Amino acid sequence: MNAALRLTDIHKHFGERRILDDVAIALESGQCHVLSGRNGAGKTTLMKILAGLERPDSTQVKLDGVARPWRQLRHTLRRDVVYLHQYAYMFDASVEDNVGYGLRAARLPAGERRARVAEALERVDLTHLAGANARTLSGGERQRVALARAWVLRPRVMLLDEPTANMDRESREQTWFLLRRLRGDQLCVVVATHDTQAIATLPDVHLHLEEGKLRRQPAGAHDPAPSPVSAAHPAATAHDPRREGRM
Amino acid sequence: MDELWHASYRAMVLLFSGNPGLWEIIGISFAVSLKAIVIATPAAFAAAFVLAYTRFRGRGLVMSVMNTALSLPAVVVGLTLYLLLSRSGPLGDLRLLFTQTAMTVGQVILAFPLVFVMSHSAIQAGQRSAWETALTLGASPPRAVLTVLYEVRFGLIAAVIAGFGRIVAEVGSSMMVGGNIAHFTRNIPTAIALETSKGEFAQGIALGFVLLVLAFGLNIVLTVMQRRGGIAS
Repeated sequence: MNAALRLTDIHKHFGERRILDDVAIALESGQCHVLSGRNGAGKTTLMKILAGLERPDSTQVKLDGVARPWRQLRHTLRRDVVYLHQYAYMFDASVEDNVGYGLRAARLPAGERRARVAEALERVDLTHLAGANARTLSGGERQRVALARAWVLRPRVMLLDEPTANMDRESREQTWFLLRRLRGDQLCVVVATHDTQAIATLPDVHLHLEEGKLRRQPAGAHDPAPSPVSAAHPAATAHDPRREGRM
Repeated sequence: MDELWHASYRAMVLLFSGNPGLWEIIGISFAVSLKAIVIATPAAFAAAFVLAYTRFRGRGLVMSVMNTALSLPAVVVGLTLYLLLSRSGPLGDLRLLFTQTAMTVGQVILAFPLVFVMSHSAIQAGQRSAWETALTLGASPPRAVLTVLYEVRFGLIAAVIAGFGRIVAEVGSSMMVGGNIAHFTRNIPTAIALETSKGEFAQGIALGFVLLVLAFGLNIVLTVMQRRGGIAS
């Protein structure tokens, strides 16, 4: 399995409170990782650090075992990782322009941009809303725009923070369905969620964050009882033949 | 009462007959105030963004100073500038006293706190997730800044309009550092003050009418912007 992202030595404090304590994480390409943990356990903080949006305490986090200054690492992370907020922010523009935002930032030629946006909208079944203002959409539709907006950039890692929070069952199932559909062979997906159904059915890898420590759990396990092995240790992945070929 | 109506009638005649002296005063007023707002706005936006999105020691002090500066009397700004720019002052060698440049500097100082505080509120009210979304989608920090500013553009336009409204009508600073020199530094407020002191009410009323129309127009634009901003956010 190819490593999409391997970070170690991640620490984060907020005041006196230790949020992340020497966390190590290895994300595999083409795998779906579910990140679980209580409210306030630090899931969002960890995801924002992985996306280069939040600065960790330690000045030198290791990427692939090599210590890098945060400024340099942040650049790499922002290039390879896309973070999706719990409540997707929609720019005050059409759905099409929202999905094409990152491509415009990357200065892609207009023709290629249009083609990729059209493909992404088709993937999330939003072609019919391409011209609508994204802020007029429902929560479920906004989440689909956010998925397309991230997917269109072909990132190595996509981080979704509670993507189904406050959604009804139908929208939730549609989101999980689309997530499966958007996953290519190489895209690594990390989903922070409390949704027990998703935890049971979605992941190839289940990570659990508790008291600042990240642990790897058998995929699909509800019980948050942590295994004492570091999540970054590949040997810690329980081989589960049921997962093979899924998604 | 008759005198008021008579003066008002003569004011309208002056205004709509295209009296060159009157329109020159209006032109100077707008030239100085537009220049001042164009200079103050980018600096105020940049400072407001930095304060809204970064945490540093002294941040609270900066906010307090800016909030205090909101009520800075124009005449105090004029007096301070006068002392700095007068021959014996530290900047006397620049020979800027009684020039449009000095008036512009005074108006920049008056406009900056208002544009800063209002744009800071608009940026603060916007969602931080706009900034993070732009960055995570690969925007460079300058592009992400422009994206955030665009997202709160109605609030920012309101800040600029309010700033312009303040300086175009201020008399204290312009009078002190401009000197109210005919054809050169005489603007609407200083001309009104002069004409009133001479008992020439017609020109004063005509210029006052221009300021009222301007204030009314700016308020309409402001209201529309705030409504649109409310809908957009």
